[in-house]
Amino acid sequence: MMEHKNSQRTRTVNNLSASYVAEESKLIDLAKGGDRKALAQLVKNYEQTIYNFAFKICRHRDKAENITQETFYSMVKNINQFDNKSKLSTWLYRIVANHCLMLARKEKNRQFVSIDNDDSLYDEKYIADYSRLPTKYTENKELKKILDDAISKLSPDYRMIFLLRDVEGLSTEETAEASELSISAVKSRLHRARAFLRNEITRAFER
Amino acid sequence: MKEKVSCKEVMRYVCECMAQDISSERCIALKEHLESCEHCKQYFKSVELTIDCYRKYNVELPENAHKKLMNFLNLPDE
Repeated sequence: MMEHKNSQRTRTVNNLSASYVAEESKLIDLAKGGDRKALAQLVKNYEQTIYNFAFKICRHRDKAENITQETFYSMVKNINQFDNKSKLSTWLYRIVANHCLMLARKEKNRQFVSIDNDDSLYDEKYIADYSRLPTKYTENKELKKILDDAISKLSPDYRMIFLLRDVEGLSTEETAEASELSISAVKSRLHRARAFLRNEITRAFER
Repeated sequence: MKEKVSCKEVMRYVCECMAQDISSERCIALKEHLESCEHCKQYFKSVELTIDCYRKYNVELPENAHKKLMNFLNLPDE
């Protein structure tokens, strides 16, 4: 009852078939040996996922493009350090998340809402009618703006956890690994981010 | 004795435990509340819908960005 259905794209990355995993493992071994074609194939396999994730964190196409370049530059440079203990995708999420956070720290003038100790997130006044969302919601420009505005208010630390766990469909353990946080820190940030976004979107549709 | 829970606790629970396995007495009590309280059921749905909105909002890597990436990395693009 409580488990979300993963999107098709997320399933593609996070619920890979055994043959795909074996093929990827071969590519990684070849890449470690300096095979440029294998490295190119690994980039092609993940460029869409990484670009999309970077965009979702920074909400800006040019920045997402730069972060994608930096992420794959790190992958190519450090592929020999990848130990095969985790999934390649989790390792890449960790790299892209770090680049996104580094960029966010450089933009010091940005102000975010603090939800670290905000119990009012769970106030019963937020239980409201939620039927105003249009059916074809992500086609709708107005809704896209609402989604952008709401998530932009969250600090990138919270944004990252929400996106890794709920949107990209990583497990709590993988999210902890990719974000270099404890499982309890992931859970705490996740439920606050969910409540915050839900309240923001509800409020926007009440206007 | 059955544990009583408030709507506020359910709201927190919904956000904390959505993807978790729930078997503790407290979680069962919360789940029972969720099933019998229209407000909380609606809240749960709204959190799910929020997540779904963000899942469906995706962007495509433009073809020229792909080419720039392969050039930047000095990798063959065949």
